[in-house]
Order: sequence, then C-alpha cells, then structure tokens
Amino acid sequence: MTQPTLLELHDVDLQLAEARHAGTVAKLKKLGFTPGDPAPLERARARLLAGVERRWVQHYVRALQRYGRGVVGMRERVCLGCRVTLPTSAAPGVGEKLTLCESCGRILFWR
Amino acid sequence: MTTVAVHSVPDSSLYLPDLKLKRKESVLHELVLAAQRGRAVRDTELLHETLLRRERWCSSAIGKGVAIPHARSLGVMEPRLVVARTLRGVDWSAEDGVAVQLVMLVLSPSESDIDSHLERVSRAVAITRTQRNRQRLLEAEDDRTMNTLLRELAT
Repeated sequence: MTQPTLLELHDVDLQLAEARHAGTVAKLKKLGFTPGDPAPLERARARLLAGVERRWVQHYVRALQRYGRGVVGMRERVCLGCRVTLPTSAAPGVGEKLTLCESCGRILFWR
Repeated sequence: MTTVAVHSVPDSSLYLPDLKLKRKESVLHELVLAAQRGRAVRDTELLHETLLRRERWCSSAIGKGVAIPHARSLGVMEPRLVVARTLRGVDWSAEDGVAVQLVMLVLSPSESDIDSHLERVSRAVAITRTQRNRQRLLEAEDDRTMNTLLRELAT
C-alpha cells in the first residue's frame, strides 16, 4: 500500500510544518483552535515513512527538501508543481496513481 | 476565486441543513462526501484521514457550538467551503463543552500556502464570532439562504 501511504505522509508533513512553526501555532490559537503536542504527528510520520518503498522515499525526500513538497497533483497533464505539461506517455500504469515529473522530479499524484 | 469559494456555497450539495449523525468522525465523512459531490475532492479517504489526524492534534471546535475543521490536502482539488447544521448537536470535545451545531469545513489544495489557507479559515471563523451571526446561520433552511447569508456576513 505504498501509494496511499505516501499520500498520507505528504499530508502529515504539511500538518507537521504547521505544528512546528511557532507563528502558525500562534495564529491557530488566535483563531480559537487548541493545537496540542505534535508528537502524535511525528509518530504517524515515522510509521508512514516505514511503510513506503525505498525508491519512493528517495524521490519524496529529495523533492521535499528542494521544493517543500514531495508530492503534487496533476491537472490536464500539467504538473501543479512546475506547471510543465507532460506527454501522454507519462501517465501511470493501470492501477497506479503515482509517477515522477520528468521536468522537476516531484512525485505526481494522478487522479 | 478564494473569496467566492470560501464565502459561498455555490452548489446545493455543499450545504447539509440537518445532519442526524452523532459522532464527529461521521460528520466529517459526510462533509467530505459532500465536497466530493461538489467536485472539490479527488481522494475522499485521504482527506477524511487527514481531517481526523488534524482533530487529534488540534481540535476544530472553537466553542459556542461551532467547529471549523480544515485541511490542506492532496485529496483536495479546489478551495471549498462545506457547511452543515446538526440541530441535535454533536460532541466535538470542545473546551467549553458545548455540543457543535454548526460545522464549516474549509478545504484547500495541498499546493496552497499556509497563509492563504489560514486566511480562508479565519474568514470562516470571523463570520461565526457573534451570537447574532451564529443564530442566523443556524436558521438558514436551504442552500440559497445560506449562500446569501455567507456573502452578506463576509462583507
């Protein structure tokens, strides 16, 4: 179940970025929310990361470090990370949702 | 685009006037399905899990019977607001202990930056701040009324 796990990992990383950023936490509190300890998010991240295939982890970490996002969506064959239109041959195989953007190297979520 | 998306319910499927559900997990699931019907969601399971995980870290109940669950997620295609009333009230683990009757789900695609997402959230929070506004929102019987009201309160 690498693909769903990788997508969850991406969403957890977005939440962790919020939880680790003092300014964002302060904004959330000001709005009336009650952010707690990010430790459960850290644990979820570690668990999810352990469930992702190594090759995807490498691509994910590389893109995350370079762009701040490891995975991006697609729209009409356009990578929403670098906005390059990909050839039809770049589509994932049957039953798969993920490929790599040939232009920027981000992982693409096709749906 | 963001202003319209956050301050209106452009599709009748995005307003759920009387949810009968008892658990917040079920309410969130129903809201996610509504957003999917409104063509804003590409992966309902992912979005639901993301919302639940956020609830565990940071409850979306802001008190006085209001919850503003929100997410930036790969499961979201378009910024969207989904509004629901639960007239019987749902236990949302609010700090003030008041059961939630008004839920406003704020969704942003994962490509959104945090500031623009929080701006959408803050607008939703702002229109629920006063007792009068909350009462008016709770009295909206249909999506057209809710839509008009949200536009009015947002200005």
